[in-house]
Order: sequence, then structure tokens, then C-alpha cells
Amino acid sequence: MKLLKAIIRPNKVDEVKDALAKLNLSGMTVTEVRGHGKQKGHTAIYRGKEYNVSLLPKMEIEVVVAESIVEDAIRAIVEAARTGEIGDGRVFVLPVEQAYRIRTGEREV
Amino acid sequence: MEVVCDLEAARRDLADEILCGRSSVAALGRFTAEIDAYLERLRASIPAPPSPVALIALGGYGRRHLCPHSDIDLLVLFGDRIGAAEERFVRGLLNPLWDAGLAVGQQIREIGELSQAEVDNPEFLLALVDARFVAGERSLFDRCRASFHVPRTHAHVLAALQTLVDARHAAFNGTLYQLEPDVKEAPGALRDISAARTIAAVTDPSLLRRGVDEGPRLDEAEDFLLRVRALLHIEHRRNHNVLGHAAQEKIAERLGYPGRGPRQRVEALMADYFRHAKAVSRVLERARRTAPVPMGVNIGGTRDGIRFVDERKAAIQPATWLGAFQAALDAGTVVSDEALACIKRSVDRFKTEDFFPADEDRAALLAFLKPRPGLYARLSEMHDAGLLARMLPPLQAITSRVVRDFYHKYTVDEHTLLTIRNLERLTAAPGRGRPQMAPEIPSGRERFASLLRDLQSPEFLVLALLLHDVGKWREEDHASESMRMAEALLDRLRLPAQARDTVLFLIANHLRMSQVAFRRDTEDPEIVRAFAELVGVEERLKLLCLMTLADIEAVSLDTLTPWKEELLWRFYVDTYNHLTLEYGDELIERTQTGVAECIACRPPDLPAPDVAAFLEGLPRRYLRLFDRDSIYRHIRLARDIHPDEVHLSLEQNKDVWDLTVVTLDKPMLFSNICGVLSSFGMDILRGQAMTNPNGLVLDIFQFTDAERFLALNADARETVQSSIHNVVAGRATVADRLAGRRRGVSRRRGPDVAPVVHCDDQSSRRYTIVEIVAPDQPGLLYRISRTIAAHGCEIDLVLIATEAEKAIDVFHITRRGAKLSEPEQRALAAGLQRTLEDPDEAVEGHYPAQQG
Repeated sequence: MKLLKAIIRPNKVDEVKDALAKLNLSGMTVTEVRGHGKQKGHTAIYRGKEYNVSLLPKMEIEVVVAESIVEDAIRAIVEAARTGEIGDGRVFVLPVEQAYRIRTGEREV
Repeated sequence: MEVVCDLEAARRDLADEILCGRSSVAALGRFTAEIDAYLERLRASIPAPPSPVALIALGGYGRRHLCPHSDIDLLVLFGDRIGAAEERFVRGLLNPLWDAGLAVGQQIREIGELSQAEVDNPEFLLALVDARFVAGERSLFDRCRASFHVPRTHAHVLAALQTLVDARHAAFNGTLYQLEPDVKEAPGALRDISAARTIAAVTDPSLLRRGVDEGPRLDEAEDFLLRVRALLHIEHRRNHNVLGHAAQEKIAERLGYPGRGPRQRVEALMADYFRHAKAVSRVLERARRTAPVPMGVNIGGTRDGIRFVDERKAAIQPATWLGAFQAALDAGTVVSDEALACIKRSVDRFKTEDFFPADEDRAALLAFLKPRPGLYARLSEMHDAGLLARMLPPLQAITSRVVRDFYHKYTVDEHTLLTIRNLERLTAAPGRGRPQMAPEIPSGRERFASLLRDLQSPEFLVLALLLHDVGKWREEDHASESMRMAEALLDRLRLPAQARDTVLFLIANHLRMSQVAFRRDTEDPEIVRAFAELVGVEERLKLLCLMTLADIEAVSLDTLTPWKEELLWRFYVDTYNHLTLEYGDELIERTQTGVAECIACRPPDLPAPDVAAFLEGLPRRYLRLFDRDSIYRHIRLARDIHPDEVHLSLEQNKDVWDLTVVTLDKPMLFSNICGVLSSFGMDILRGQAMTNPNGLVLDIFQFTDAERFLALNADARETVQSSIHNVVAGRATVADRLAGRRRGVSRRRGPDVAPVVHCDDQSSRRYTIVEIVAPDQPGLLYRISRTIAAHGCEIDLVLIATEAEKAIDVFHITRRGAKLSEPEQRALAAGLQRTLEDPDEAVEGHYPAQQG
């Protein structure tokens, strides 16, 4: 199993969710986050005054997938979240050692 | 024929009656009637002056409590101006009174003088409470009473009375147990009885009937004290009110107090005196403690909150109820449980129109809805009492309505009210100078609070919030249903067309901004452009942004995250910048929908080509800013305009003046108009300046008459208008007009905020845009525009805004028909910075000689 952690544009959440649903991956965690990568924020001007917007609002989607569909899931996220502009985000892939279902205590494979 | 008054005989009769134990109040009443009759005979004997006149008894004379040597407090009231004949009349009246040995305390007034309560004359105010018609023109007396008996004056009377009572009691060390009491002034004596009755008269007439036996005990004490006072006068043959040791012996004996010797009789008399004085003190103390402070017609403030003075009256006057909630809002208190119960009992008998029968009632509702601390609590009281949904019937559909979804945590009606609480939390003043009890603006919200302070009519936002979810009684598309239901209500409330449109716009689009800000790619300029197109102007953008914030926060405790706030704010800024910086590139075209509508609906006096020619080439923003009636007014102003001519209109709208100027473009035009307004001390709040490709200029200013030039001078409007004509035509210069104002300008510096000048040549294809944020100061726009002109630049478009004490101005400029180069921008920015930092320099004007 792998944990996919995708940092994407806020307006891309629905598209990414739909793309993952097509792979029958319906369980996910979505979190509002703020940060910056290469985009490093930008300068905005309001009423003549410049201010630096360093941390940009992003969405983080976490989804645990079986090894067999990791590549498909990554592709689905990347394709759904891409605009081609700076600031489209990242997908991180992390190994998952074990997983348990809390209601029953059973170990998931 | 000489009018005679046998005062001594009247006094003897009074003494006889008092001593034979009859009611002293009745006896003094008969003595007072003798004085009344004498005054009436005197008045009839004097030649009547041209002005109508009324003789009015004041104070104790008004109450018919004249003791044998009391002063006669008299108001001689004239209906017209007091001239020589009226003065002769007064002398003819007063001389015989003095000759008869009466001490007269006279007040002479014209009726007009009574329209303003004489708050600096508390004794006179108090005496007017007991005013009684004696002789002359009764209608004058009626007018005097009507102008006096209003809640505002009653509140002054109450305050004055409390102060006077405290001062009087202090002079007696605050105790009624005086060995030689003054039966008029001492605590528990006659003045205290009169004070208790006055408090009841100006607050709640039933006040003295509420305590156990208070009314009869007060009457009994009054009869006793008046009897003693009358005997003191007879004994001393003058207005002497101190019951000294010697007088105590004599009066105890004359009144037949039992006892073997004088000492026992005096003790019996004084025991009676202290018993009565104690009763009076208790009644007065309770009246002072519980009297409602007059705060409106039939509305008073108590420690338990705002209540109706007369509940039976209130129950049948629903139009007065809103006043109770307004008073509670003003006083930072609650509406009392009794008043809420009274409303609850009666509310079902009334419909919307009963609460707002007149224009002033409808205006009062809008004034009430201005967001401020306490509004949510008052609206909640109204809602719990069933009043809010009666006033605004669409709310009935969502009262206690439960909608099950993943997000909402409260019933629809409570969600609605919470949106208003969220808004009112943005109204507390930030930082220093904030009243100690006022809540603080939540952290990070100052930027949204500044939008709220910018709004011209925040009450429309509150009205829209109240109605935004009423369509939720249906499961689907609640925004359209809310709008449908609101339309009918707004018609019943007869909201002006522009306000109605704004409220309906907000209701219809209340979900749009969050949908776009959180779910669309707001970095896409097309998304921003489309949203800017939807809102049209900054005011609506600010309204919708605040509505979105308040609405999301009212969904549950944690729905509005800092993350969402940030997204919302950024989207607001992008849309605001689009509206203010890019509108110069979007011009009206002949084929546009708005133009066709304007032509189709035009009044008969405007030919279609005139309408089209006027509109074509103005920024599209113009069509969003003004309704059709205003557009037609502008077109009429633009008719037959020639070079050097100015067509203008100057209208007053409450405290703000609207100036519309149409003319043909020429150098220094905008600066000159601003200069003229400054020269009259006008403070420009908001405005627009637009130019079309044919050189037609339309400038619209809203300003306040800061130095009251327009208010105080009869021909001021003409003077302002002709000054603008002369300056634009070159017959006068602004420098002449401003000469001598330099000191005034320097004296009134704005707040200590560093001015900001920002040049932008990216946002617009056609213009370099200069944004200026600076402390608001008199003449600021004049100085800025003069500096821009001095740098050889033409001003095509201007947006003027004021937020609190900050001026926010955006100029769209060119130089020789093109955008400014980098060095030109730097030079202009530096010049403007100097102008803003040193007002004196600019007003003196060391610029080259100006054209025009």
C-alpha cells in the first residue's frame, strides 16, 4: 500500500475527486492547507499598497491505494490537477506499513 | 378703571379655612382662584397688544398651591414678535401686581422660543411641567404644552430634576430629621412631593399608584405640609418657610395639638411632621429609582431594560414598537420582559403595513438595520416575540426550519440572525479610542471591517441577510425562491428602486462569490472579469464579499477557516482591482444591450441619437453606476453645451450634496472644479470623473458642507454654481479663490498615516493608473490633480472614495495621448509624494502659469 499525498489548487479538488472515483478509490481525506513551492507566492496590490502573499491557499488530498494501482492513481491526479501554470502542486508517494479498521480492529491488507 | 384686589381679605379667608381644619389643598385652591380672577381682570383692563398673548401659571401657582405670601410664577407668552406694544402690555400687567404687594417671578417669551427646550435653565423647565392656563389666548397655551411634552424634553426635565434634588438634599446634609425644618426645601418636604409628582408626569403617570398606598400617603403629607406652610406665612406675614422653634409652639397650639404644655404639643406636631416627611422621602426615593427614563413616545428606560410606559396604549400602536428596540440598541440595553410579553400578546393582530404606516416608519426600519453591536440581540428579541416575522412575513416560512445537510448546525432562522451577528462584530472600532465595553473585531478581520466602513448603505446588506435564506422552506434552488419572496416584501416596504435592486441582487447571488472563490481558478483573469461584470461596481462587490463572509461563518463554528477567508479576500482584491483599474478599457458601444434599453425607455424630450451619442465611448461602468432616470438627467445637462460652458446641478440629499457637472474637456478642468469646492470648505467624499471620446466630461461629486457655507447662506447655491462657471470659463482663477485659505488648510491636518502613491501601467491598455491613499484633508483632490496637470498629464477618469479618514483616489491618466514612460511615472510619483507630505507647498502653488 502507498499513501498518496497531493497538494493541488483549491479549484481542482472536485476534478481530482472525480478522477480517483473512476478508479474506484472513494476514500480520501481533504485538508485546507497553505504553503508554497517554487511558486513562492507573489506580490499583490490593493489600494496602491503592495503586499507579499507568501503562503498560498492549497488543498491537500490524502488517499491510500494498493500497489497495483499506484501509477494509475498518480496519473489520474496529475491529469486532473494540471493547468500547465506554476502552482499546480505536487504528489508525494509514501509507503504504508500497516492499516487497521478502527470499528472492527481488523487489519487491512 | 383701576382693577382692585383685596389681597388681605383673601389671605384672612385662607387663614380662617386653614385653622378650622378644612382641606388645606382646597383652601389654597380657592386662594389661587382669587389670584387667577384678579389676573384675568387686569389683562382685560389693559389695551390688547397686536400679538396674541396668554398668561400661564407656573410651578406652585400652576399646581394651585399658592400660600398667602408665595411668589406668583407667571409666564407671559406671546404668539408673535415682542415689540413696543407687547412691552407696554407687560408693564401694564406687572406694575399693579407689584403695587398690590405680590412677589412676581415673571418669564416673558415668544412662542417660537419654546420650540427648543431651555436645557440651560432647569428651574424654568421644571416650572413648565405644572404650567396652567390662566387668561388670554388658550390656543397659545396648547401649543406651549404640545412643544414641551415630548420625550426629549421630558428626558431633560428628569435629568435636571435629579441634579436639583441631589443638590437640595446635600444642603440639608441629606437628612429629613431637621429640628427646624424648611417645610418647602428640606428632604421630605413640599419640593420633594412636587419632585415625585413631576417624575411621574414626565415618565410614567401610573408610577405613584404602583407602591402600597403611596398616592393617599402623598396627598395626606401634602395637605399637612401646605397647612403648616400657610400658617408660617400668616405668622411671619411673609414668604417664610422655616418651621423654627418659636413657630412650632404657635402652630402646634393653633392646630390644636394635645398636650399639657407647649413642649408636648410641639413634640406631637413634629412627630406628625417627621412621619409625613418620611413617607414623602420613601415615595420620592422609589420614584427616582424606578422611573423609566423617557426615550421615545411611550418608551422609557429602566434597570430592567426598555419598557412601554403605558402598555395598553402600546398594544394598539404597533408602529411604536420598533422604537423600543431602537432605544435599547442606542442605550446598549435590552428590551424588558414586560415589553416583549406585551408585544407577544398583541402581535398577531397586525400585518406589515401596520408597523410601517408612514415614510418615516419605513426610514426608521432602515436606520435600525444599520449594523452595530447589539443588533443581533435586538433582532433575536423581536424574533422570539413573533414580531420580526410579522414585520417581514417571508421569515415565517423559515422560523425553526430544520434543513438537514452536512454543513449547517442551526435552524434556518437562527443561521439568518447569526449572519447579522457576524457582521456587527466587524463594526467595533479597532485599537485605541475603542469604548471599553465594545467588543473587539475578531483577529484578521480588520480588512473586512474596512469594507463595512466603506459602505454607503450597510442597512441594505442587513436586509438582504435577513431575507437571503427565506426560500429554504423549499428543498431546491432556495436563492431564486428567496428572491421571489423578498420582491413582494420590498414592494410592501416601498423601498426606493435602487435599494430594492441592490437587496434583490444580493439575495439572488449570495452563493456566487463563495462558489467562485473556493471552487474556480481565480488566477484566471477571465474568471475575475466575469465576476466583475456580475457585480458591476465596487459597492456591490463589497456588499457581496461581506455577505459571503457573514453567511459562511453562520453555518457552523468551524466552517469559515482562515484558509477560506484568505481565498475570499484575494478574490475580492482581484475583482476590486479589475473594477477600478481596468474599466477604462471597457467602453460603451452603440450596439450594447444597455444602450438599446436606454433608447427604448427614453422620455419624449430626448431624441434617440442624443442618447446614443452621449453614452457611446463612456466607460461601461457608467451604465452600472446610474439608473435610467439619472442617465436621462445627465443627457439633458449635456444638451447644447459649448466650449467654456458648464451645465450643472446641485442637489442636497440629507447631509450630503450631489454635484453633477457636464462640460467640454480642457486642461486643469478637474483640478479647477475640485479647487472651487475646496475654496468653499466642501469635503469631497466620493466621486467619478469620466470623459467620452468627443471630449464631453461628466464629473459627479458627493461632498459635505463641512464649513456650513451652503447651510448658512441663503444665496450660497448660486454663489457656488457661478464660481464654477467663472473658473471653468477662465473669468476667475482657483488661486484667487483659495487665497487666504492657506492657514485654514494647514490647520486641519489629517490622521498620521503615511501617504501611498502607486503607478500602474499594466492593468489598462490605454492608461497609466495612479492610485493614491492619503490622510483625508481639505483641498487634497485639488492639490493632487494640480500636481498631475503640472506634470503635463491629462486626467481622463477619476474614482474618488473616502474610508474613515483616508482618501482613496484612482486617476487614469495619459501624457500627450499615451501612457507615461517609466521616468515620467517616477517623476510624477515623486511630485505627488511631495505634495501629499507638504500641503502648504501645494496650496501656494509653485506651478507654471496654467492654461484656461
